Amino acid sequence: MVALAILLPILFGLLLLLGLPRVLGVWGAALSFLLNLYLFLAHPGGVAYEVQAPLLPQAGVYWAFGLDGLSALFFLTIGLTVFLGALVARVEGRFLGLALLMSGLLLGLFAARDLLAFYLLFEAALIPALLMLYFYGGEGRVRAIYTFLLFTLAGSLPMLAAVLALRVLGGSPTFLLEDLLAHPVEGTAAFWVFLGFALAFAVKTPLFPVHAWLPLFHRENHPSGLADALGTLYKVGVFAFFRFAIPLAPEGFYALQGLLLLLAAAGALYGAWLAFAARDFKTLLAYAGVSHMGIAALGVFSGTPEGALGGLYLLAASGIYTGGLFLLAGRVHERVGTLEIGRYRGLAASAPGLAALALFLLLAMIGLPGLSGFPGELLVLLGAYKASPWLAALAFLSVIAGAAYALTAFQRVFWEKGEWRMEDLKGAEWPFALLAVAALFLMGVFPGFFLKGLEPLAEAFARILGGGA
Amino acid sequence: MTLLVLAAFSVGLTLLGFLVSPSALRGLTLLGLVLALLSLLLTWGEGFAFGPYRVDGVSQVFTLLALLGALWTVGLVRSRRFEFYLLVLYAATGMHLLASTQNLILMLVALETLSLPLYALATWRRGLGLEAALKYFLLGALAAAFFLYGAALHFGTTGSLEVGVAGEGPLYALALGLLLVGLGFKVALAPFHFWTPDVYQGSPTPVVLFMATGVKAAAFAALLRVVAPGAPEALGLLIALSVLIGNLAALLQKEAKRLLAYSSIAHAGYMALALYTGSLEALGFYLLTYVLATGLAFAVLSEVSPDRVPLESLRGLFHRDPLLGLALFVAALSLLGLPPLAGFWGKYLVFLEAAQAGQWGLLVLALLTSAVSAYYYLGLGLAVFQRGQAEAAPRPWARSAALLAALLLLFLGLVPGLVLPALAAGS
Repeated sequence: MVALAILLPILFGLLLLLGLPRVLGVWGAALSFLLNLYLFLAHPGGVAYEVQAPLLPQAGVYWAFGLDGLSALFFLTIGLTVFLGALVARVEGRFLGLALLMSGLLLGLFAARDLLAFYLLFEAALIPALLMLYFYGGEGRVRAIYTFLLFTLAGSLPMLAAVLALRVLGGSPTFLLEDLLAHPVEGTAAFWVFLGFALAFAVKTPLFPVHAWLPLFHRENHPSGLADALGTLYKVGVFAFFRFAIPLAPEGFYALQGLLLLLAAAGALYGAWLAFAARDFKTLLAYAGVSHMGIAALGVFSGTPEGALGGLYLLAASGIYTGGLFLLAGRVHERVGTLEIGRYRGLAASAPGLAALALFLLLAMIGLPGLSGFPGELLVLLGAYKASPWLAALAFLSVIAGAAYALTAFQRVFWEKGEWRMEDLKGAEWPFALLAVAALFLMGVFPGFFLKGLEPLAEAFARILGGGA
Repeated sequence: MTLLVLAAFSVGLTLLGFLVSPSALRGLTLLGLVLALLSLLLTWGEGFAFGPYRVDGVSQVFTLLALLGALWTVGLVRSRRFEFYLLVLYAATGMHLLASTQNLILMLVALETLSLPLYALATWRRGLGLEAALKYFLLGALAAAFFLYGAALHFGTTGSLEVGVAGEGPLYALALGLLLVGLGFKVALAPFHFWTPDVYQGSPTPVVLFMATGVKAAAFAALLRVVAPGAPEALGLLIALSVLIGNLAALLQKEAKRLLAYSSIAHAGYMALALYTGSLEALGFYLLTYVLATGLAFAVLSEVSPDRVPLESLRGLFHRDPLLGLALFVAALSLLGLPPLAGFWGKYLVFLEAAQAGQWGLLVLALLTSAVSAYYYLGLGLAVFQRGQAEAAPRPWARSAALLAALLLLFLGLVPGLVLPALAAGS
């Protein structure tokens, strides 16, 4: 089942790359979403739907996939966001093909039960991201590509060293997660191993100060927002800290916990500040992403079950609302030709539906109770407060700042008096809006339903760290 | 058997060359190489010894790679002079011999057998490669001299011409060091790499393909045997210098062949990491992916121009010919070691060996320089997509070989596990 869910979008992606019409991609995305939804709803708990095939058994590497509660939640998020993107993004078939290809690789990454398979997919997902940026990006795309790639590789190659060290020094027979967990590394080695992981995942969180690639990446990507939405899903750092880096080298984590908490809190605040100063909508969203991921990271770094739960939930929720906002920005760009804030005003008068959708997504982003951003932020606050009250207070200034930058931007674009006229929601944008808003509400009102598969994992995580309830 | 086929074809075709047309000779050369490959595959995993000529796993794996390089080179070239094919055959014979002996004197003979034809091949286009060939020849002769000194000292300290006999004392260390220098020239490890960029740039591209694949494979086989009893400490220095100089100098290059020359120096450094544990699997697999990727890159370049290839002249290749453009892109990414291409597994296996040998310092250096290399490989790979007026009129042979190599790189990247047992069976 899992193999099918991963291969389905890859297959459709390849077909589209070969030149098949775009509509096939929409069907592929829909099918993938439904399959992921089924996997999530029918998930029995524990690690389900496991598959395993030898990849390089001589060196202890397997294609091992399986869904636990966490992976299932991300399957749902990815399936939904990609489907939303396929519905509304006005892009040619090949672009959609690359997006589907990348979504398949991301699904694999979240389901991987083998560290090296994870690493492989983590790196492989770069290729479609780079190609989307290269073929469909803006003027300064080459610089954005280089920045993105060099940041990523500077992180992921130390990670490869850490992966090798983990197995050689720990004495595990394979790279399967269970085996690795049974053979932990200790002492100084654990510190270096964790540092290697931390570099790679910090780039992909993105954690301050290695977030610098992100704004450039989003600014130069295609205005439709499809690539940005996938880029948002690609921010797997928080997940990877939780799944791999911290449980596999807890001693190293302890040594760096203080620093990481500080960086996460500082990043949250710094991102919010820059988002406030951003001149165009995509840059604003990019920095808002930095800020939110800082909060999510703070939750996981707190080492408490609540914090971890909240951080992961925030990550899953932000995939949908930030991705949705990027796609929405793409719709606006198509209508008015620019994303600069302040160039157009008073759009709400002519496009009330679009304005309402934007407001919903923004409110979810800033964590209004009842929408999907709130439960995550609340849980992070609870967890982070246990670990460090001061940093929690500092980081949560950024939530207040979030309300400021998001609502200011909304006010300037949609409400202030202006001459601009714009078409309202039409065609496929209606189901897009309804699905997105439904997801925001469901995730905001029934967090327990989405979190039930996560709770045992968060407990186990806290137990590894010696704390927890 | 393989040796018999190669030698018989070399000598036989030398005589025939005066009688039949060059194109018929080309066909016969291809036939000879294919027969040699077949004989190799049919006896895969079986040992054979005749005096100092000894076929074992190392010899089979590296001969296979060298023959692939030779086959590719002959396939790409249509020469009006029959000598070209003969020289490749003679060189291939030398490569097989070099990979199949533990005897230092036979190694030297084999080294010369493979080098002399290459000196001539470098000048194959009149006037073009003279300077390169002269440089190659002079430094090659120097390397042979070093090797000979090393062999003499080895005999003096251990009383044996067989490598793998452990000895001790400063003279023995000196002997190993000299042998290392001699072979270091051939595989282009820094600081013995100075000939590489000039020779690669100045020689005809198909010949460079042969140098970068065949010579490197054969010389690494010898290197593997020489350092087998215990890697000398100087090796670490050579590796560190190779990966540093290779990758950093490649950043500055504006010409594709020169860039790939520096990349080959860096790759020699990575491959040498596997010498610490002497793992045939890791080194063999790395060389396989390297031969495919670097051969692919040179094959594409040779379709663009037989002479120099400035990076600008590659622009727009994808739009002119999608297959060639994509092939170069795939080759560059595989050389960089980005999953899911085969190059990643090569690097992974070699780095794993280094980790098992406890060479953490070198490992970290190798990883960091890999990250640096992303810059120039990406420049090479993305150039084909840019707007430009690349000239290319690929011939069918080049097309199908490029397609095959690119698919193999992808296939080996997805299921590397299929090939490793075969490599392990040899050892």
